[in-house]
Amino acid sequence: MHFGGVKAVDGLSIDLTEGSIFGVLGPNGSGKSTLLAALTRFVDLTAGSLHLDGEEYHRIPAATFARRGVARTFQTVRLLPGLTVEENVRLGADRIRGRGIRERGKGDDDVAEAIGRTGLRGLERHRPGELSYGAQRRVEIARAIVAKPRLLLLDEPTAGMNQSERQEISALLRELREEGLTQVLVEHDVQMMVDTCDHLFAMNFGKLIADGVPASVVREPAVREAYLGKRWSEHV
Amino acid sequence: MIAWYDTNIILIQSTFVGLLMALSLQVPIRFGVFSFAGIGCYGIGAYVAAIMTIRYEWPAAAAIGAGMLIAGVVGYLLALTVRRLGGLYLGMATIAFDLIVGVLAVNGGDLTGGPSGLFGALADVTTLHLVLISAVVIGLLAYSERGAIGRRVEAVREDPELAASMGIDVRRHRQAAFVISALLGACAGGLNVLLRTTIAPTDIGFSLVVLALTMIIVGGSRSWAGALIGAMIFTWLPGFLEFSGQWQKVIYGVIVALAAIWVPGGLLGMMTDAYRSWQRSRRDAGSGDGDRTPLGSRAEGTPA
Repeated sequence: MHFGGVKAVDGLSIDLTEGSIFGVLGPNGSGKSTLLAALTRFVDLTAGSLHLDGEEYHRIPAATFARRGVARTFQTVRLLPGLTVEENVRLGADRIRGRGIRERGKGDDDVAEAIGRTGLRGLERHRPGELSYGAQRRVEIARAIVAKPRLLLLDEPTAGMNQSERQEISALLRELREEGLTQVLVEHDVQMMVDTCDHLFAMNFGKLIADGVPASVVREPAVREAYLGKRWSEHV
Repeated sequence: MIAWYDTNIILIQSTFVGLLMALSLQVPIRFGVFSFAGIGCYGIGAYVAAIMTIRYEWPAAAAIGAGMLIAGVVGYLLALTVRRLGGLYLGMATIAFDLIVGVLAVNGGDLTGGPSGLFGALADVTTLHLVLISAVVIGLLAYSERGAIGRRVEAVREDPELAASMGIDVRRHRQAAFVISALLGACAGGLNVLLRTTIAPTDIGFSLVVLALTMIIVGGSRSWAGALIGAMIFTWLPGFLEFSGQWQKVIYGVIVALAAIWVPGGLLGMMTDAYRSWQRSRRDAGSGDGDRTPLGSRAEGTPA
């Protein structure tokens, strides 16, 4: 993906297998969010292609792609301030095509389940402005998982959360993996990435610099250098 | 009561026409579309209804329906034409559309009656018809403000990119806003011309854009109820301000300016905010030991 003369992501080729959590690691400006935006069709590819179940989708609109079971959260919290927590989550459930009057009851169950799983019970009638930043993040996650997507892309979902909240979100993501949900996780918390992900991609300056099992990727010299700088990476 | 009705019949009818006209601008704004094309469609609806009634002696429902149909098609084509525009640029383009409708009316020759307009559009439209049509429109719009449709419209207005990530087709919603606005505007125009029996280019000018916007700004732009409040105030206010003579327009301007600065959500927004803060204080007072999860309690303890 190029923005004018800037190559945001270049020469990247990744395969996501079903039912796994893939982590994307890299310093600020390494192209992680652009990669998520491209995967969800929010930016067009300058070159290359995207495939889902063997079918090319790099030309279909983002909304159409989302209706095929792809959900995402954003780097900065994006909730609708005029709606309550429950209504924000329900917006995610609305995406399910063909859900008519007969299935509305099921929609209510899904919303209650997503709210419960993200620890938001009791806050259903609050509006986003009345919540802490961490709680707002959890509303985003609840909104993303409520429609039971096939692919979930999370852009720094634990930003603004404390350690125990991060651990709980990590546990939730692993639980969703056990249920077969494929996930792509962008995070700066290296320990969380190692604990949560099955596979890690490390990026810098828009290029893939390492990929593989999390524990070994974070030990790669190129990854340490990207995060700590060359001088410091030699000392650790 | 009957005497009061007979005395104020023009104002009562104008209130409902004003409501439909204000809604023709409010609906696109609710969808996040800054369009004034509803007023141009008011002109289309008025002229088509007048022409069909005077020339072809169509019944009122058919004449108004023809105006709505033509305006709906024009609204859809306009939506396609300005699909890449947004914000102020879209506002300017749609005002230009309104002015073009006015120019066409002036230069329409015998068809539109030129600068002097058309006279004698006689039809059997009554206040009851106005009330019934307004009730149906309000019912449909109230339904669209609730549930899944209401949430989708809110998402399209507040954050189109987020809406797309939820699988919502933002482009189709924008087009729908144009068409609904056109239908409402044309309906208002058609009804008004059949009630008044005349139409002239000066009746569909820029002043209608100002009047409808004023109703929405003061009443509230997020719900049909705001348009109703605005329509009531600005239809009846001139009568109450008669004592002020030439200062009437100044008082008008001051009211709009005060509303825009101090009550950006309009009178309805102010009432909604008050209700919500009352709800919040009641909830906080009653939230002793609810069934909150540990995460929920922690979030509550650290408000943003």
